[in-house]
Amino acid sequence: MEKQRLKLKVNGQEHELYINPKTLLVEVIRDHLGLTGTKRGCDTVSCGACTVMIDDMAVKSCAVLAVQAEGRHVRTAEGLEKNGKLAPIQKAFLDQGSYQCGFCTPGMLMSCEALLEENPAPSPEEIREGIEGNICRCTGYNSIVRAMGAVAKGNYREE
Amino acid sequence: MKKYSVINTHVHNVDGIAKVTGRAIYTFDVKLPGMLYGKILRSPHPHAKILDIDYGKALDLPGVIGVVTGKDTLGVKQGIWRRYQDLCDEQILPVDKVRYIGEPVAAVAAMTEEIAEQALDLIDVQYEVLPAVYEPLDAIKKEAPEIHEGFERNINVTRHIEWGDVEGAFDEAEYIREDWFKCGGQAHMCMETRAAVSSYTPDGKLTVYHSSQSPYYMRGLLAGVLGLKESSIRVISHYVGGGFGGKFELDGAIFCSAVLSMKLCRPVKIVFTREEDFIATKRRTPMSYYVRTGVKKDGTFCAREAKVFTNGGAYTGMGATALYLTGFFHSFPYRWKGYRYDGYRVYTNTLPSTSMRGFGAPQAMWCSEQQIEWIAADLGLDSIEMRRKNAHYSGYEVPDQASIASCGIDQCFDVVQKWIKEKGKLPENRAIGLSAAGFMSGGIFNWFDSPYSFSSAVVTINYDGTVELHVGAQDIGQGSNTTLAIICAEALGVKIEDIKVHSGDTDHCPADLGAWGSRQTLMAGNAVKMAAEDAKKQLLEVAYAQSGFNIVYDLDIKNRWVHALARPERGYDYAELVKKAIRGKDGQRIVGRGYYTPHRKGMISPAYSYMMQAVEVEIDKDTGKIKLIDSLTAHDCGQPINHLGLIGQLEGAFSMAAGYGYLEYMPYEDGKLMNPNLVDYKVMRATEMPEVPVAEIDTYEPEGPYGAKEAGEGLTNPTAAAIGNAIFHALGVQMKECPIKPEMIVNALNEKEAKEKEGKE
Amino acid sequence: MSEPVKCPVCGKKAKTGSAIDCARHMFGTGDKPHRAWVEAQGLSFIDLLLEQATTPGNRSYVVLAEIIEKTQERLPE
Repeated sequence: MEKQRLKLKVNGQEHELYINPKTLLVEVIRDHLGLTGTKRGCDTVSCGACTVMIDDMAVKSCAVLAVQAEGRHVRTAEGLEKNGKLAPIQKAFLDQGSYQCGFCTPGMLMSCEALLEENPAPSPEEIREGIEGNICRCTGYNSIVRAMGAVAKGNYREE
Repeated sequence: MKKYSVINTHVHNVDGIAKVTGRAIYTFDVKLPGMLYGKILRSPHPHAKILDIDYGKALDLPGVIGVVTGKDTLGVKQGIWRRYQDLCDEQILPVDKVRYIGEPVAAVAAMTEEIAEQALDLIDVQYEVLPAVYEPLDAIKKEAPEIHEGFERNINVTRHIEWGDVEGAFDEAEYIREDWFKCGGQAHMCMETRAAVSSYTPDGKLTVYHSSQSPYYMRGLLAGVLGLKESSIRVISHYVGGGFGGKFELDGAIFCSAVLSMKLCRPVKIVFTREEDFIATKRRTPMSYYVRTGVKKDGTFCAREAKVFTNGGAYTGMGATALYLTGFFHSFPYRWKGYRYDGYRVYTNTLPSTSMRGFGAPQAMWCSEQQIEWIAADLGLDSIEMRRKNAHYSGYEVPDQASIASCGIDQCFDVVQKWIKEKGKLPENRAIGLSAAGFMSGGIFNWFDSPYSFSSAVVTINYDGTVELHVGAQDIGQGSNTTLAIICAEALGVKIEDIKVHSGDTDHCPADLGAWGSRQTLMAGNAVKMAAEDAKKQLLEVAYAQSGFNIVYDLDIKNRWVHALARPERGYDYAELVKKAIRGKDGQRIVGRGYYTPHRKGMISPAYSYMMQAVEVEIDKDTGKIKLIDSLTAHDCGQPINHLGLIGQLEGAFSMAAGYGYLEYMPYEDGKLMNPNLVDYKVMRATEMPEVPVAEIDTYEPEGPYGAKEAGEGLTNPTAAAIGNAIFHALGVQMKECPIKPEMIVNALNEKEAKEKEGKE
Repeated sequence: MSEPVKCPVCGKKAKTGSAIDCARHMFGTGDKPHRAWVEAQGLSFIDLLLEQATTPGNRSYVVLAEIIEKTQERLPE
């Protein structure tokens, strides 16, 4: 297949790429842009390790062609911090120990962030539904729910 | 519980920033200059001779750099039980024959993953298909095909544990029950699949990035199979995306990438797809259990006898240890006058089985804790009081096997009883199921034949008082870097922020057996404590020299404050002392060394954790579907060290153990796994997890650092049985097979109804 | 017999000195010399092993222990 030019905005930064149009968004993020925070854990769009945000939606980036994200804003875990200042959800994860091996964490953070931006005060049930598409083999999820709850309560509100 | 400055306080995981900002580089992410991508061609047959492999066409494909087969290796049969040569039976890239569907047969290195994948289709393998067997009871028949030469009737390993006069104890029993059980396998299903990047260079050195639970084991095993010196190999394993018992043996990724790299003198990366991870990485050992138990009418345990067959699959792996541990923990946590276990591990042409979190104990508890509940019901006894009557206690000796120095199981019973009482009457179709368990804190047996201490640590103090802590212990997500930093900070008297942990690199870290068998908190923790105390002693020597205090005064360092214990308010900053001490050593940093190997600690482990779990389960009678509503776990791990880490490990263990109870089936048909993907293989999701509150029981383990013992693996043991027991109490049916499928419940209910109808007619 | 039982193949003393312990040692070791000795007594090592695995009780060990017991009288000091 003929390669084509693609303009992609990732974490606030414009990138110009030259790719095969059947390249998945996760491949562009990881291999072309070198942002390896986003992971892959399956080939069946099942595990959520590749979750990023496209505009205000949490999306499994293994299920999307890179060309489909043109003109949108893609956000990955690397884009959560601002000049080294961690986002509330990242601070909450640290306080609650909401990660162990950390492999699912970047994707999990993006699912959490997307939910919080849509609903700043989700209930525990809504939180669990919001991260249902993200598998975590280590934590059993409850520490993640606690972290989300702490952010929802306003514990990390900026001064 | 004692109050410490750092221990059991709310400490952030020391790898937190890297993990929550996407900066952590896993082997999955590693890219080296000139790196090639490797793919493995796998056997489609469960049992076949390899007659010929023709890869000429693959080499012709543009972008393919090289191909390797068993003929490119030394043909060494390797295994992790190095001390027992006949159990070292796996070539990984076999030379003569394949023994399971999915076994590697050849490996290709190419410029891209896509090209490597295409090249696989161009390799022509000539097989002579042989008859295959898939179940132990078929594999032991006289007419079964021989899977490994010299293993009569495919019996791989046998284990026998016995104490007391078993026949006599059965004669004393007033009630005897016998039951047959089946325990399934389970996939480790680490979020990071098996991954390795091997780089062999013209100076004869091999550097390997590996997603591993033990870089030290990998270095030793690679040296053996590649004919290299251990010192010529460097294994790096900084961040690991989960292990759970599946990543401390050589796997296809590390082996094939190393062989390719040595042939081509280029870095080669192999990452398993999720499907490969399911079909070609060893799994939890499936077992069939026969249990006969004799008790007195008042519930006193007399005798137990278990006969177990385990499905070893095609190779030994860590199966020999699982075979022993299942039989040992099948007696836990109770005293038996007479106990006998006969375990047989049998080769079959299926995916090899090995260690997985719990190491044979989840299977043992599935059988034991359910049968105990049924016995209590048969005799009309309270099952908790019956357990209490027969439980271990501090100071108990498991005959010829173990000394129990600390045991909090009795307090566990109290906590659970209280919780059940407070719950009161439950809604219809809901019931609480119970299970007790106990587990080891590392093993005493040196089957790897290591010449080094089981754990070692080096503490180096810099001029500004910060500390470089070098350990061989591997963090795979369980938080060992943090736990060991906490112990170091407490022992030395500094703050957690002062410690920088170095681990996961065999070039820079001391040898350590690695993260398995729940050994690191106790063993590496002891080594770290010793090293920190060694360094502190050197500092205090200088402090004493200049103190002018009367000889009766003791000095100590706490929270970076050097002081006399009797006069804590009069002291000075630890950093001042460090500067003086380094000047006193002619500018040399203060270095403390520590190590630990268990000596004369019985047959299994230096220390044991104990727990009792209650799970509230709701069952839909019509569909057989299960919902976990609530739970309580009373847990004795001695002194907790890493508070956040502990909670995380216990909750995580629950999700994996519950998965073994009712979700994670691995159906095989003619040696082929039918659900090698995450659509069909079900794991716990956030919506299915109940709350997992844990009541910590206060005990002190003399062998552990600050009284600590294992936490996080033991709790994988009880949940399947607890779920089974809940079903028993809700519906009156006995689950013999795990994982429990909904149709098993429905069928059991139908059978029960049919029997009751028969009884009435 | 108060003398601890010695293994007729390798001379190793059984742990508690009983013939049953010696039988345990033989099954546990399972190497060629021990298997060959058992076969030479007219027993099938593998059939004994399999019987132990598939039937309740300790019959296989008891059978082997009885035979080991008999050899003790004939063993040189």
